[in-house]
Parts: sequence; C-alpha cells; structure tokens
Amino acid sequence: MSVYSNCEGISRRDSLSLGLGALLGGGFVGALRARQNAGQPSTPPTSCILFWLDGGPSHIETFDPKPDAPAEIRGEFKPIATRVPGMFFSENMTRLAAISHKLTIVRSVRHDQNNHGAGNHYMMTGAPTRIPVSCGAFVSFHPSMGSVTSAERGAPGGLPAYFSIPSMTRSGGPNFLGSRHAPFVVSDDPNQSVFSVRDVTIPRELNDSRVTGRRELRTRLDQLMRFQDRAAGDPVRGMDENYTQAVSLMRSAVAQRAFEVHREPDRVRDAFGRNSLGQRALLARRLVEAGVPFVTINDGGWDHHSNIFPAFKKQGQALESVVATLIEDLDQRGMLDTTLVLVMGEFGRTPKISTLPGSTTPGRDHWSSAISILVAGCGTPRGQVVGATDRNGYAATEKIYGPENLVSSIYTKLGIDPNKILYGANGRPAHIVSDPRTIAELM
Amino acid sequence: MTLLFCVCFLLGGSATAQSPAPITFEADIQPLLTRFGCNSGPCHGKSRGQNGFALSLLGFDSDFDYAALIREGRGRRVQVESPANSLLLRKPTGQMPHGGGKKLEANGPFYKMIEDWIRSGAPRTPADAPRIVKVASEPASHSLKPGSSIGLKVVAFYSDGTRRDVTEGSAFSSNDNTVATVGGNGIVKAGVLPGEAAIMARYMNHITVTGITIPLAGTPAASAYDVLASGHPIDGHVRDKLKVLGITPSQLATETTWLRRAYLRVIGKLPTPEEVLSFLSDKDLDKRAKRLDLLLDRPEYADFWANKWADLLRPNPFRAGIKATRGIDAWLREAFRANMPYDQFVTALVTAQGSSWRNGAAVLFRDRPEPVEIASSVSQLFLGVRLECAKCHHHPFEVWSQDDFYGFAAFFSRIGRKGQGLSPPISGGEESIFTRDSGTIMHGRTLEPVGIKLLAGAALTVPAGDDPRVQLATWMTDPKNPWFARVMANRVWRELMGQGIVEPVDDIRATNPATNAALLDQLADQFRRDGYDIKKLIRFISTSRAFALSSIPNERNGGDLRNFSRYYRERFRAETLLDAVNDILDVEETFSAMPPGSRAVELWTYRASSLFLDTFGRPDPNQDPPCERTSDSTTPQVLHLMNSPALNGKFSLDKARPARLAASKETDAAIVNTAYLHTYGRLPTAAEANAALAAFPGLGKNRRIAVEDLFWALLNTPEFVFID
Repeated sequence: MSVYSNCEGISRRDSLSLGLGALLGGGFVGALRARQNAGQPSTPPTSCILFWLDGGPSHIETFDPKPDAPAEIRGEFKPIATRVPGMFFSENMTRLAAISHKLTIVRSVRHDQNNHGAGNHYMMTGAPTRIPVSCGAFVSFHPSMGSVTSAERGAPGGLPAYFSIPSMTRSGGPNFLGSRHAPFVVSDDPNQSVFSVRDVTIPRELNDSRVTGRRELRTRLDQLMRFQDRAAGDPVRGMDENYTQAVSLMRSAVAQRAFEVHREPDRVRDAFGRNSLGQRALLARRLVEAGVPFVTINDGGWDHHSNIFPAFKKQGQALESVVATLIEDLDQRGMLDTTLVLVMGEFGRTPKISTLPGSTTPGRDHWSSAISILVAGCGTPRGQVVGATDRNGYAATEKIYGPENLVSSIYTKLGIDPNKILYGANGRPAHIVSDPRTIAELM
Repeated sequence: MTLLFCVCFLLGGSATAQSPAPITFEADIQPLLTRFGCNSGPCHGKSRGQNGFALSLLGFDSDFDYAALIREGRGRRVQVESPANSLLLRKPTGQMPHGGGKKLEANGPFYKMIEDWIRSGAPRTPADAPRIVKVASEPASHSLKPGSSIGLKVVAFYSDGTRRDVTEGSAFSSNDNTVATVGGNGIVKAGVLPGEAAIMARYMNHITVTGITIPLAGTPAASAYDVLASGHPIDGHVRDKLKVLGITPSQLATETTWLRRAYLRVIGKLPTPEEVLSFLSDKDLDKRAKRLDLLLDRPEYADFWANKWADLLRPNPFRAGIKATRGIDAWLREAFRANMPYDQFVTALVTAQGSSWRNGAAVLFRDRPEPVEIASSVSQLFLGVRLECAKCHHHPFEVWSQDDFYGFAAFFSRIGRKGQGLSPPISGGEESIFTRDSGTIMHGRTLEPVGIKLLAGAALTVPAGDDPRVQLATWMTDPKNPWFARVMANRVWRELMGQGIVEPVDDIRATNPATNAALLDQLADQFRRDGYDIKKLIRFISTSRAFALSSIPNERNGGDLRNFSRYYRERFRAETLLDAVNDILDVEETFSAMPPGSRAVELWTYRASSLFLDTFGRPDPNQDPPCERTSDSTTPQVLHLMNSPALNGKFSLDKARPARLAASKETDAAIVNTAYLHTYGRLPTAAEANAALAAFPGLGKNRRIAVEDLFWALLNTPEFVFID
C-alpha cells in the first residue's frame, strides 16, 4: 500500500494560491459536467430547500384530513377548502391553503420503517438501514440527499454545496462521500440582532500577510501520514477536505454576502417572521440565490405522541406561515421554477388517536404507511394532489410510492441521475437510489 | 367453531391423503405470515392492525392471530367451503386490491399449502403439540470465496426434542448486501470483495444468525502475525480473528505515538515535554505498564472517565434542575476518584434513595421519572439491551415481548417521591426518592397490573416493604448475568481503541453481532474476575499489543475498520481538545459556574456556554432532536481553530507560553523542540525543525510573532487534533 504525506495529488497551497479550492470539492465545473451527463445542458441550475420535520408530522393534521372518519381518527380539526377545487387541508394550514394553486401534495408515500432512526434514514437517503436500528438512533449507511447533491453538483464561489440549519439531521451525513460533502451547519440564529456565521472571516487583529504566512507554515509542518486507500477510512483526510472547504469559504465574497440576512429589507424580514425559523428560511433563500443547491432546515419536535392538537395550533401554524412566505417570496423573484421546496418528516402518524401509558393528553404514534409531503417549485405541477389514502388515513391506496421514488424525483429535479453508481470505500458499488423511478406526477 | 369442526371432519380425509402430516396453523401457516411480512410492523403487525385486520407482531400471539383470521372479518378471510375465495388468498395474490401489494404467487407451493389448510378446516396445531424452543441456522458460520454460494438450513428445535427443517418458512436478510446477499430460499451468495456479513433468518418470532466471512485472497506468511505474539490474551483473540479473514496486523507504533495515545486515552490529557523525555530515556523494559499505572493513579483519570459517564447520565438541567445536575456530576466524579467497583457503582445508582439535592445517584430517577422510562434507560445503559420497542409491541428483531418490558419496568414500580417534581423549564425544587411498601404498574396493552419479572427469566415475588430494585441490582451484577460485564467491557474497549467490538456499544444482540465474540467474552471474564475494577480493565486492554499497533495500514489490512488489525485514528473529544489548547498555550479558560482555573473536563452542565465545545460536538440534551456527542471533523471546527477571535486572542497574550518562550533565553531550535513536544508529544525531525526555523527572524530580532505563528500552525494540523 502506498501512503503519502498530503491528501490531494497536488499540494493544497498551490491550488489555493491559484484560487482553485472549489474545484477540489466538486466545484461548479463538476456541476456543469454532471448536468451535461444527465443530458440537460442548458437548463439553469436548480436547488432544493428541505424543511425536515424531525419526529414525523401527522398527515391528518396537515394535508390529508379525514372528515368522514370516526371521531377517534378524525381528531379535533376540520378540513378547510383550498384555492384548488376538491383539495382540502387541515384547518391550521390556512396560509398554505391560500397558495395551494402553487403546490403539489403527495399523500401516498409509504415505507416500512416505523422508528425515528430507521425512518429518518430511509426518507433522508432513499435507502433503508442495512440492519435494524433502534428508535433514537442517528445512523448513516448511505449518503444523504444533501451530500449526494454536494458531490454531484458542487457550488460556485467557494460556498459549501450543502447547508443544514441550525443543526444536522439524524441521517443527513455524507457516509462514504467523505467530510467535504457533510453539511455546513449554521447554528447561529439569524433572528439575533448581531447574527453572523462565525469564524468565516480572519480575526480583525491579524493582517493578510501574517495570515498567509501562518497558513504556509502550517502546510510545511503538516507531515502526518495520510492513508491513500479510501477503504482505510482515514479521518485525517476528512479534516483535509474540511480545511480546503474552510479556506475557500473564507475567500468567498459570495458566501459572506449570502450570510448577511440583515441586508434584506425589513418588509421581507417581517414577512418571514421575526423568529428563528422564519429568519432561517430567509437565510436558506439567500443561500440558494448565491448558488447553493441543497439547504436543509432541521426543525425538531414533531413527535406528537401527546398534546397533538394544541401543538398543531401553535407549531403547525408557525411552520406553515414560514413555508407559505418562502414559496411566495421565491415565486415573486422568479426563483420558484428553479427551487424545489419540500416539507416532510420521517413518517406520518397513526390515524387512531391514542393516549400512551404515562401520558395525560392524546396524540398519535409513528405511522409509515401513509406520509403526506408538500412539494413546490422546480417544474412541479401547481395545484395538484398525488395519490390518496383510505377513508381512515391508514394506508396509501392510490399512486403508492416509496422513499426511493421520492428521492429519485428530487435528484432528477436537481440534475442528478438517480441511477448513477457511486463507489464506496473498498470500491463497493452502490446506486445513488436503488429504484430510480421518479414520481411521474411531480416531473 | 362447531361449523368449522364439522367441515374439518368432512374434509379431513382428503387433506391427510394429500400430505402425510396435516397442515396446521401454528406449525405451518403462522410462519408464512412472518415470512411474507404480513405481520410486520408497518403492515398488519402494527398494534392497531392495517385496514381493520390486525395480527400480532411477528406472530407472538397465536390465539390472537387465529381469531383474527377465522372469527373476525365476518368470516371472509378464511372460507372453508370455498378456499379460493378467502381473503387470505385473494388479497396477497393481488386478485383483490391489497395495500401491501402482491406477496404470493397464485397456485404456487405456498398458495397451495394455505389452500390445503383451509380446505382441511383450518385446524390449529394441537395445544399439546411440541413448541419451538429455539431456531438455529446451519452452518452457524461459514467462509466463502468471492462469488461463491452456500445454502443455509434453518432448523427449529421443539420441546419434545424433535427438530424440523423450517428453511422454507423462514425469512432471510443480510446486514451487508455489498458483501453477501441472501435469497428467499436461504442461498447466500458472496460478493466480489472480502468482508463479513451476518445473515439473519427469522422463523416465527425466533431469530438466528449465520456469520459469513469472505477472506482476503492469498495466504500471508505466518511471521506476519508475530507482532501479536505477546502472550496477552487480547492479542491472541485479535490474531485468531485476523487469520480467519486473511488480514495481517500493522507494525507497532513508535514509542512517542504510543505514549501520547496512552495519555489521551487514559487521562484525556497530553503528556508534558518532561514526561515525553523521561519516557524516551527510560531503559526499563516494563516502562509502558509502569507508566500506565502512574496514569491510572492521576487525579485527571477520575474527571476524564466521569465526564464520559456524564454523557450517559447527565440530565437535562432545564428539566431536572440545576442543583440536581450538579449533584449527579459530583457523585460520578467521586465514584471514579474512589475507583468504585462497577457492580457497586451500578447498584448504587439503580437502588438510589434520598434527596435529589443530597444524593447525586438519586437524580437518575428525576429527569425521566416514569417506570417505563427508567426501564428503557437502565436496560440500555447497564445491560446493552434496547427494550424501548417492547413498550408498545413485541420487539421486532429481538426476543423481547411487552411482558418482558413491563415485567422489567415493574422493578421501579415502588419508587415513591416526595417534594417538588418536574416543572420544566425551571424545576428547581428538591425531590426525595424513597421506596413505598407496594406499587404496581399497568401493562401498556392489557392495562392489567404487571408482576415483577427478570429479563428472559422468572417472575419474582418481592415481599411488601422490600425494594425490588435491590433484587434487580443483585441479578444484574451476578457473575452469571450474560449482559452486565460485556456491555461495560465493550464500552471501555471502545473508549481506548476508538471502535467498539459491538457498535453501537449499548446495543448487544444476535442481530448486531460482535466482530470478535471471543475477545468480548475474554474482556468480560477478566472484568468479572477482577471484581469489576474499571482501572484493571483499562490496564488489561492498554497493556496489549493491539493497543500499541500503528494506525498505518499495510497491504493486507487497509479495508479493516472493525477487527483491530491497526489502531484507528480519532479526533479528540471536545473537552480534551480545549484543555489541550489551554495547556499548550499555558492559559486558562473562564467558564460560568466554575471557579477560576477550571478545566473543560470538569464542567458539570452544558449550560456553561462554550462555542468551542459546541463546535467540537459536545452533546446538548436540551436540543430537539437531542444533540449527541459527535467525533466527526467538520468545516466549522477547522474554521474555529483558525479564526475564532477568542482562540486567536490566546496565542498573543503576554502571559501565554509563546510570548514567554520568545522572551526567554532559549535558542530558536530549543523553542521549536518545546513546541513540538507540547503539541505532538515528540521531537521534530531535522527537516521539520528546519522548516520551522526558517520562519524565525534571526539572531537578535524580536521573535515573538514567529513563535506565536509556530504554535498556531502546529495547533491547526491534524497531528495535533487526532489521537494517532
């Protein structure tokens, strides 16, 4: 086995001084190449903003109300009509109902992983976990959608291609694609008056020449042996990738500007809502504007085993207001045709309301046989419902799709061939998605 | 039933004429429901069923399943007078709409089997018929050449001593399809690359696993294993496993690499330059073991290991209260200072009584106070058994049933509470945990009171006034307990070696097999024999050659990430890294809620804010979803080391080490040596020293900037950030 002292074939210092750092991380040229390979040479680049509702949001309290079901299934909320005739949402989704003519609701995605760890993995990667995992698990057996997008598309101007705000999702990691395709996590709160993405600029008290000198010295002294064989899983090479990405991010004026949420007019900031979630959505839009192809907004607290009805009044309304604002904002800017907005979690909730042992208020439990997903933008037909569940919301009965089909659709919209084979450590081949068929109604 | 009986009588003759053994429900039909996934969690096995048709999960309740098929559904599911019209046949064959899709080939062998069973009157297996005791797959382990195949046989063992080939009715899956795949018929096919896979076979609610090994081609020289010929039992087990796989061990790491590794792994601190130099000049052949003994006696040991346990036990301060959080932290540190034997440690926690302000161990029962919550965490922490699935249903890939779960939770049913309970987000009050004379908990499904029952064991009678938790602790810490010592041995091994023998470390089960079961057994045995002495276990592991191997791969172990043929690199824990930075620069951190001079490893709550620690992945139990400790390296970490204003300020403090060294009488070369010893635990090579010296301004000039930049450069390299 050959081992050598630096991660890349050429020294980082040379490449950085040429300003080519981004190329090492996939880069824009790589993205163009991927696009050409996918046979779409001239379309403008597309992006995805994923609202990840960790815990699994109820389908019945969002986009698949069941007014004809018995009371113990139907719940406290009534359905409301939307702008699209025949399309009904649960009563708290008022703002989304008002723009339903811009949305597609898929009601018939289903899978067979009924705990958080496994459900997160399946929906976030399009692959089931290889071995059974337990409920609270944070597991990775396959690269997440964001990481695949980072690898296949890259981002221009020194930006990381995959952001996760304000934290990483349970299965949102790069797996064998390596650290440079891990999400760049912005944990700072853009709703704070002094928001900045920390550490992306050089310390004020240092001048440029000293910083350059330090980095050159670091490169000369960095002699720890790296293991070339990918199968060896050398974590030091991961840090090398992080270093490359860090330096290009620091040099990127595009990136610095994208982070400056305060440049948005007050009118826009107010519309998104002066709260963390709202301003995070606004930051996501600015990142997409700057060319980032994948942004996840990780929103926790959707595991409503109890207290589901008060929660949906508060949390459900807060979320739908932000999502509706984002979609309208994108549409007004002409960005909705190139930006895919998704709202989903790892599964739906049991139709029958239950009160678990030890709990005092009713809720719904995990239910992967019926999942509702909001899809908008990026050429998705406007104002349609795809699929249906039975009268009581137990099972998808029409246009039944798996997570593979959903994830394949997302990749296709992002200009990535879901049928492509990636090579993991040891050279083991793995399809990006095992079933590359898309959800035809979304395309 | 009368009608059924008559039909059975009328049709019985033809059924027996077709097959010598009658087809009956429990023996033949129920296994098919498992094999085709009908009774799996997302389908009819969900506790409330699917479209009104509910089966017990994986067939653990035969009475329930039989009633569901025969009596419910208005008799449409099984129609004895016209079997082909039964929903049981029409739905899975796709002749009628079926949410689960087509599962069964019409007129195939399984279809015919079900049809014959219905025609013969859908008989149950007689109650006195032999019951399944266990299921085993044959062979239990097997070595395959790339691309070759083997057929597995699954055998069920019955209570009357008979066995039966149940391969046909079993469901198979591989835990790594890139290494080996398995078909529905039990034929395992090896892929093209070397590796290991566990093939799980499920028959009814019984599970068995076959280990498949695809060794690396070629035969290594016997001498390739000499490095592990130490006589240490650990090295013997590692070597045996490597030989099976055709993998060879790496060479030994250098002395300084070993020393730095030992310090970081045992006390979470870098060796000082003096400690490195004294070790290098020590000619004692036994100097490594002696150095380990010194380390285990250091006060830093207790804080480092207590901090690891705090990851597992520290409550959310917003729920449990800040004083309770402080209390359990102090209790943990004292336990590790006293080297409390692990059985006593667990007993003290599990049986804790008294005030949450006075007895830190009692805080275990505060943050998640319900017996069912305590049961889940106690079984996972101390037994490596994940019971939480069984709270709501039969565990889908283990033997645990709801009865097991609630029987275990009942050990905590007599916990009484006085004082102020949880009232998040403040919960500041004092609460006392005591044992009531009696207490019951209700079964989640039957809503009946549940008796106390040991895992995989008998029901217990605990006299009124006694604390069942005492009996639980006695049973857990008994040398015969199959889980207790193994899970802790695996935890400690992982903390020293960077990778568990089982991963995740607290999920020990047949379907998540250990990569080296003999090694894990050896560690557990040794731990028991040593009276559950944690320091002795650490010493046992860290005196092995396995702990001393280099991380650098050879031609035959590059792909090995689980069998310890080389040492696995890992980034420092957040607290270790921050303390190391401060030690190297000789500066202090200021934390809220801590006295001056405190170290990060001494922090007792995540509410003491630190951007550095958050960036490097310290866990935060107040996040939703909860934020687990991470050891990955990320771009924000690299950025933080380079650009954090707080960290950068430390490099240029007048009182920090770089400024003091620059002002000292030391030569430039001596300063470079000192910097290397502090950060890397070794002296620089000649080339490194020259590269470092080239940045110095020369004799008589102010060298402070050069020294600061040297420290900055070294602290930003992977050789500093990683345990190698």
